[in-house]
Amino acid sequence: MRLTWPGACAALLMAVTGTAPADATPPLAAEHLSVEQLPARSPHWAYLFDFSFNNETDGRVYLYDGDKHRMLGQFEVGYYPNLAISPDHQTTAIATTYWSRGGHGTRTDVLEFEDNTSLTLRGEMLLSAKKAQSGAVSNFNVSYSADGRFLYVTNLTPAASFSIIDVAKNAVLSEVDTDACVLVVPSAQRRVSSLCENGRLLTVTHDDNGKETARSVSKPFFNVDKDPIFVQSVGTPTGVIHVSFLGDIYEIDLSGTEPRFVEPWAMTGPKERGQWRPGGQQVVAYQPHSGRLYVPMHHGGEGTHKVGGSQIWVFDAKTHRRIARWPVDAAKYGGVFSVLATQDDHPLLFAATENSALLVMDAMTGKLLHVEAKLGQTLWSMMNP
Amino acid sequence: MQQRLDRLVELASRGLARRTSRRGLLGAFGMVLTGTALLPLLPVSRGARAEAAEPATAGATPKAPSKAASDPNACEYWKYCAIDGFLCSCCGGTSSTCPPGTQPSPITWIGTCHNPVDGRDYIVSYNDCCGKTSCGSCMCNRNEGEKPMYRLSLNNDVNWCMANDNPNYHCSVSVILGVANK
Repeated sequence: MRLTWPGACAALLMAVTGTAPADATPPLAAEHLSVEQLPARSPHWAYLFDFSFNNETDGRVYLYDGDKHRMLGQFEVGYYPNLAISPDHQTTAIATTYWSRGGHGTRTDVLEFEDNTSLTLRGEMLLSAKKAQSGAVSNFNVSYSADGRFLYVTNLTPAASFSIIDVAKNAVLSEVDTDACVLVVPSAQRRVSSLCENGRLLTVTHDDNGKETARSVSKPFFNVDKDPIFVQSVGTPTGVIHVSFLGDIYEIDLSGTEPRFVEPWAMTGPKERGQWRPGGQQVVAYQPHSGRLYVPMHHGGEGTHKVGGSQIWVFDAKTHRRIARWPVDAAKYGGVFSVLATQDDHPLLFAATENSALLVMDAMTGKLLHVEAKLGQTLWSMMNP
Repeated sequence: MQQRLDRLVELASRGLARRTSRRGLLGAFGMVLTGTALLPLLPVSRGARAEAAEPATAGATPKAPSKAASDPNACEYWKYCAIDGFLCSCCGGTSSTCPPGTQPSPITWIGTCHNPVDGRDYIVSYNDCCGKTSCGSCMCNRNEGEKPMYRLSLNNDVNWCMANDNPNYHCSVSVILGVANK
């Protein structure tokens, strides 16, 4: 803007005297700069992870209110972070990497603890430079034990292992060699399960000091070559549910003394199989009150398992009945890349798209309630407090 | 022959991964690297095929390639049949060279891509170029034959710069290692 001398003099006069030209409307009240405080947690909040793929050292999480349709705040999560929310919802654990000078300088791998009630850092502990770095954002690259006492961090150098961390002591207790198996799916009695390259499940038991006390390896429960399962699974009250590339559901019950593999079932009919496939990042959501599963599906062939969905398919997880196929305007918003259902009895379904749009839907009817046309850069996964 | 060779190297690499778990894996890389320059070390696999539904035969009559299949700056370029990342050819490098000031990843995975120009299948090495933050140009996401992280030898989601001094991912290349003879 170009300012003339008379204009500059008038502006200066206003600044000095605090007066404005005479006007019928009263002036605005003076404002006081302050900092917003987060309200009490809502079940309709979602933590939206932006991988910031175009500038990966700048990963961040947006806290979003699904009722008020607004962003509540943000915290930074660094480079290829792995995230988990504590069972009491108070903390987000962030296993990540920073450099002292942006993208270079001294590397620091660290486990940070974000206070979810204030969106400030509450603490940290240093890690060795081993944490898994993957663009496939699983809910189980990092996880808490059910009682919140331990944290498990997947390592990949590419030798695979996981670290056991005592949260209260702020200390790494041990590192468990997983013989090339990855992920850390926790279950009761201090057990951690990992997926193996031959389609088996490794389950390691540890004691309160983090020492391994037992391990078992299951028989193969899926075919890695013919129909692999996504690592992006979803937790259930009794275990975990995986989706396969061809659209089969693999449920693992981890509530007993040994993992129990529920008979897999197909989301597709005979004519749909191989034509309609799940795809994207966070490819399955589970809603405990309704017992529903939500999966983004697209029409495509082999090698399209990272293509976002043009529809969201809804199933009853118990009866396997397909309840609905909700179309999404993929041309307008981008294909659905990730889905998240809130855990309450009036649930919302969040759908993040390839264009980093966020769709807020009624999880029972599919009604589109709100659209954020562009939220961040690359929304790849979401978490519910 | 190719299958046997791939199988042998795959077994060897898996064995190496297991044996060296937490016992100086990077040291092992360094020692082998001394004698092998930039040949990828780990993991190796039977690999992805660009046109899995239509297996090619070496020396078969080539099809007329599309313009994009011959353009190293296009995601459809034949060598990129399972790349998930930014194309180095758009970032100061080429389809087989890293941009200035970056470092190639010594570990990677290997696939097989079909070249429609000469009708041959080629073994290619998907390396990442490392040490600078993401290039951010020419994002390419192709996943023919790609498998999840538990089958690491066929996975393109992990950061293959993970074992570099500076594991910052910048871009990806596809380097021809040879013809996949049958």
